[in-house]
Amino acid sequence: MAVTSVVQSDQIKAKDEYPNLSLRPLQVSDVDDFMVWASDEKVTRFCTWEPYTNKEDGLNYIKNIVVPHPWLRAICIDDRPVGAISVSANSGNDKCRGELGYVLAFKYWGKGIVTRAVKMVVETIFVEWPHLERLEALVDVENVGSQRVLEKAGFQREGVLRKYLIVKGRSRDRVMFSFLSTDYQS
Amino acid sequence: MEVDLSKITLRPFKLEDADDFLLFAGDDQVTNYLRWQTLNSKQEALDHIKDVCIPHPWRRSICIDNCSIGFISIFPFSGEEHRFKANIGYGVAVKYWGHGIATKALKMAVPQFFADFPDVVRLEAFIDAQNLGSQRVVEKTGFQKEGMLRKYAYMKGKLRDMFIYSFLSTDLPANP
Repeated sequence: MAVTSVVQSDQIKAKDEYPNLSLRPLQVSDVDDFMVWASDEKVTRFCTWEPYTNKEDGLNYIKNIVVPHPWLRAICIDDRPVGAISVSANSGNDKCRGELGYVLAFKYWGKGIVTRAVKMVVETIFVEWPHLERLEALVDVENVGSQRVLEKAGFQREGVLRKYLIVKGRSRDRVMFSFLSTDYQS
Repeated sequence: MEVDLSKITLRPFKLEDADDFLLFAGDDQVTNYLRWQTLNSKQEALDHIKDVCIPHPWRRSICIDNCSIGFISIFPFSGEEHRFKANIGYGVAVKYWGHGIATKALKMAVPQFFADFPDVVRLEAFIDAQNLGSQRVVEKTGFQKEGMLRKYAYMKGKLRDMFIYSFLSTDLPANP
């Protein structure tokens, strides 16, 4: 069976080198897989949110935040969610801009999975959202792994924003990265 | 024209400033890099002072001899993760450009603002990549340039590259 790169609105399959990696919507039925990464403080270390401690909170998150989200996908291996990736939307004068976020279960770190998922998002988001000019991501200065993901995916590092965000009660510096629709050559 | 910078003061806006306000807020050259629409009449100036300037969390008139020649506006963000940050914008009537007035006014405003809003630790300014004059003003005031944000936002219908600058409360000199 040939595995080709097919871009559809809700299911994206990777090219041959990651035959079992795909992106698809995250559903309520995925809650147990969701809890694996969402309850892990190694995963949430640089996130603004605290690890989830109970399944009901996980279900509420999926129902209230994930399902209506403008663009959020589960990162799947063999169709089982191992993480998530999302692009936020803005309105008015900021409509040209979307923010990328991602999270991956700890056991899958270090295999290039998020880099591949980010590349897949870049390949599709500017097509799905023609008004989008700029995809940006803000990464904690100490989160070197995540900075490398974005660099490998072709994002440009624009600078360090000092005390940009309060994360778990402390102000943090964040590195700003961007990928423009004009940076993308198919 | 000679300008004595020691005569520059900051104060809240009053309805009586409407005519002076219109002189700069009604000028495309001043509003070019602002999100405001240029005002067209004294009534619009009155409405803007009443509806925007007076209720604003921190907006000051830049004055010479108590006469309004410009404004500084500092707006704290809302929300749990962002309320410790604020955004600064300003403008000065064209006839007063080139005398260091904006720099002087900003140097007065920044410590006053941090004193009025002790929870704010980061003041940021987004300056259009082509607005060299304003880049110099914020740099002379002591803002640090952090980077250029490519195609960051629309301004007056055009997609803009913007420099982002910041001034942290910890950047204030220890002895004012």
